[in-house]
Amino acid sequence: MSVEKVKQSYSDVQKEKIFETEFLPHINSMYNFAYRLTFDEDDAKDLVQETYLKAFRFLNSFQQGTNAKAWLFRILKNSFINDFRKKSKQPPKIDYQEVETYYNSDSVDVSMTTDLRVETVQHMIGDEVSNALNALAVDFRTVIILCDLEGFTYEEMSKILDIPIGTVRSRLHRSRNLLKEKLQTYAKSMGYNK
Amino acid sequence: MATNLFNWLKQSVLGRSSCKRCLELLELITDEEASPEEVKHFHNHINECLPCYESYNLEKSIKEMLQTKLEKKQVPDDLIQSIKLKIRNNL
Repeated sequence: MSVEKVKQSYSDVQKEKIFETEFLPHINSMYNFAYRLTFDEDDAKDLVQETYLKAFRFLNSFQQGTNAKAWLFRILKNSFINDFRKKSKQPPKIDYQEVETYYNSDSVDVSMTTDLRVETVQHMIGDEVSNALNALAVDFRTVIILCDLEGFTYEEMSKILDIPIGTVRSRLHRSRNLLKEKLQTYAKSMGYNK
Repeated sequence: MATNLFNWLKQSVLGRSSCKRCLELLELITDEEASPEEVKHFHNHINECLPCYESYNLEKSIKEMLQTKLEKKQVPDDLIQSIKLKIRNNL
């Protein structure tokens, strides 16, 4: 999956075929991921386009028949961090306190801190869920999207994000606790959970 | 009243090592990353432990909520064409 791997040398016909059959089928997931990172339709379009053009340019680093979706997501994530966030008009929304608390706690805490109930969760509507997810800092939001929405394995996530599997697990755990807190706050404000 | 009882139960299991192990496995189970032995251990435990069973249901319902309730955007029609055009010009 990494760019340092053995280079292939595909013909133009092969390149077009790989692009059509292995890359383009993931465009729906890619666009939704991009939108959840940028919160803007035009930015999401640009990011997806940039990702696909890069993927094509570096196609010789891709081994046919391997995990194209993870490879594309990795390029998209890196494009977002390296180029896109700098160019974007919007400053990144980061809750530094959250990030700091997270990086200062290296142990995975096992706790049942939430009073959130299954019935409350089941009553939530799309906008409420979306607001809670979008309120998370981008690193936390990303692992939830990759794992719960896109169904990537821990190992795939580790490659997409360039972090060890242990970090994937602890970041997921932390992200889910933060999401529960947001949902809980929301539920309280709506008078659920009495 | 029921909530108080539930909270009391929750507190009381925090100190139990079998529950601690169970909660460590929780996300591995819902993410389908646990080994067969871990899955077995986990299900044996939640069969007889209500608070852990509740935690499992909550974790599962949040995952389901994310999968079913978030709006999925349609890719704009012109995006694929625009990408293909740019690539063809590069070949």
